[in-house]
Amino acid sequence: MSSKQLNMVQAINSTLDLLMAENDSIILLGEDIGKDGGVFRVTEGLQAKFGSERVMDTPLVELGIVGMAIGMALSGLRPVPEIQFQDFIYTAFDQLVNQAAKMRYRSGGEYHVPMVLRTPYGGGIRGGLYHSQSGEAYFAHTAGLTVLSPSNPYDAKGLLISAMKYNDPVMFLEPKRLYRSIKSEVPDEKYSIPIGKASMVHEGNDMTFITYGSMVPTVMNTVTKHSIDADVIDLRTIMPYDGETILNSVKKTGKAIIVHEAPRTLGMGAEISAFLSERAVEYLSAPILRVCGPDIPFPYRLEEYYLPNEERILKAINRIQEFR
Amino acid sequence: MDEKELFVKAYKAMALSRALDRKIVMSQRQGRVGFYTPTIGQEALQIGLSMTLEKEDIIYEYYRDVPFMLHRGVPPAAIIDQVMGNSSDSEKGRQMPSHYSSKEFHFMSVQSPVAANLPPATGAAYEIKYRKKKNIVVATFGDGSTSTPDFHAAMNMAAVYDLPLVFLCENNRWAISLPIEKQTRVEIWKKAEAYGMRGIKVDGNDLFAMYEAAKKEVETVRKERKPVLIEAVSYRIGPHSTSDDPNKYRTAEITDGSEKDPLIIAEKGMIERNYLTKEEIEKIKTDSKETIDRIFDEREKIPAPKPESIFTDVYEKPNWIIEEEKGEIL
Ligand SMILES: Cc1ncc(C[n+]2csc(CCOP(=O)(O)OP(=O)(O)O)c2C)c(N)n1
Ligand SMILES: [Mg+2]
Repeated sequence: MSSKQLNMVQAINSTLDLLMAENDSIILLGEDIGKDGGVFRVTEGLQAKFGSERVMDTPLVELGIVGMAIGMALSGLRPVPEIQFQDFIYTAFDQLVNQAAKMRYRSGGEYHVPMVLRTPYGGGIRGGLYHSQSGEAYFAHTAGLTVLSPSNPYDAKGLLISAMKYNDPVMFLEPKRLYRSIKSEVPDEKYSIPIGKASMVHEGNDMTFITYGSMVPTVMNTVTKHSIDADVIDLRTIMPYDGETILNSVKKTGKAIIVHEAPRTLGMGAEISAFLSERAVEYLSAPILRVCGPDIPFPYRLEEYYLPNEERILKAINRIQEFR
Repeated sequence: MDEKELFVKAYKAMALSRALDRKIVMSQRQGRVGFYTPTIGQEALQIGLSMTLEKEDIIYEYYRDVPFMLHRGVPPAAIIDQVMGNSSDSEKGRQMPSHYSSKEFHFMSVQSPVAANLPPATGAAYEIKYRKKKNIVVATFGDGSTSTPDFHAAMNMAAVYDLPLVFLCENNRWAISLPIEKQTRVEIWKKAEAYGMRGIKVDGNDLFAMYEAAKKEVETVRKERKPVLIEAVSYRIGPHSTSDDPNKYRTAEITDGSEKDPLIIAEKGMIERNYLTKEEIEKIKTDSKETIDRIFDEREKIPAPKPESIFTDVYEKPNWIIEEEKGEIL
């Protein structure tokens, strides 16, 4: 079994390459994804290899990209639209929320939309208000959408392969801050990571961290550096999140800290916290804590104050440890 | 102002803008600036229009409009402050470089999602109409931006409500890697007709041609209180942004000193019309460079905004949630 050290950009690129080679239903469409190879180079070389009919440099219209992809999917193709930055998805929101998400339901199951929408999201690259947003809660709040976010190259490949086999619209959110900052050993062949299954990336007894995407390395670094005896759960699937894994862990530790970059109010932390209070309140020995982005737009020059970091996670750890 | 003074002022703004552009691009390479979208090549079309405007006119500009801003009086220091995101920046360091704002000079705050400035520009023009004011609105955008739903919505609303609004499409022939031929099957100025609006095309590299065309169109908008679409054709001489590598998708179509460079065209015209001599032009260029170098060094020393600044202006009055989060973070 051969494998390679890849970063997330390379892992996604090579996975698309692999899948496209064996399935001519797969069509990539988006802005600057062809000749230019994508502004983050995720689709580099794919147009040269598969042609401009399969890797489409579209006009500048997110509404058109998503709408067109939905129609392709309804007709049996496997479109992979790219939105250059998640921040620019909002003119396509109607297509996502009212078309893609509701198609199966409204047609009584006769129609469905197998589409994997890829988009980089999150901050940490000094992108300011419009190149940093984490909008996963909007999508998770929309019945009919499935929301994934890998935290490392290995998971990116396995999740993308599952998403491409899935028969409902998937939001594949790529934490752009991690695009090139971490590498993992990625097998050359295909493997899949099931949708809806979290990954236990660190095991311990004192508390449970629930996180995903760009915050996984931040939490892991803090936990290992300070030898915290904690479970760290990387959700991988944001919607439908893995309730069972979360519940089992929190029943064991009695303490939960949810960490995400997106704003706190009505973010995934709110949902998971409600889920835990409904089902595990008798196991809890401390309040459920959230370490999140604040409820403000994402700033430019001072972005480090926005992003949850080691210091803020430690504060939460100290607070939760006061409860026995 | 007579014609000569008008054009000397315009040329000076072009030269200053070019010097500023060079300086910021160079500083970005040196790691002194985070990001930037160059304006080189779009000076004449912006300034040619700006020459015909009044102080009270309102501009819904986009991220490449530094020449426009300088010509209307925004000091270069304000542009540099924004690019640095320092504590003197009127936007308080919140926006990425190239997302300027100047309420004093009636420039709206720039957003990233392209063409999103256009629908609000119709609202501003409607207010003018409703209040029976005399001023007009100008909204600018690139060629790629004409593919958006925002463009369609704004063009239609402006025409339906007979709004005093100048749409300036700065057609630099590229939208990052996509050439205009792949963006649209029809020339941009022709789209106006489909909305029931006047549309014209002009050589945006030629300050004099741009001025003549803009003068006529702006006068018509002022008089008839109806919108117009001006397609000013230029060329994006530089990369899309400092993060972009055009070698991936285009071969250089313009080399330095090309006859398409608006600055060189303007210089020729200024000399031909006896508005400036070669020596005066050289002096303006040297002065511009010195001015920009001096101001840049000075502004670079200004510190970042205070951390607590990121928590204000979300609402008029801060709410308890934000206050609590601020307490946890700082
Ligand atoms: C809605 C939206 N989608 C994508 C982007 C990313 N993007 C930034 S500029 C740009 C190209 C814009 O081209 P054009 O309108 O011609 O303006 P130019 O940059 O050439 O001046 C793109 C795709 C964006 N800013 N907004
Ligand atoms: Mg353009």
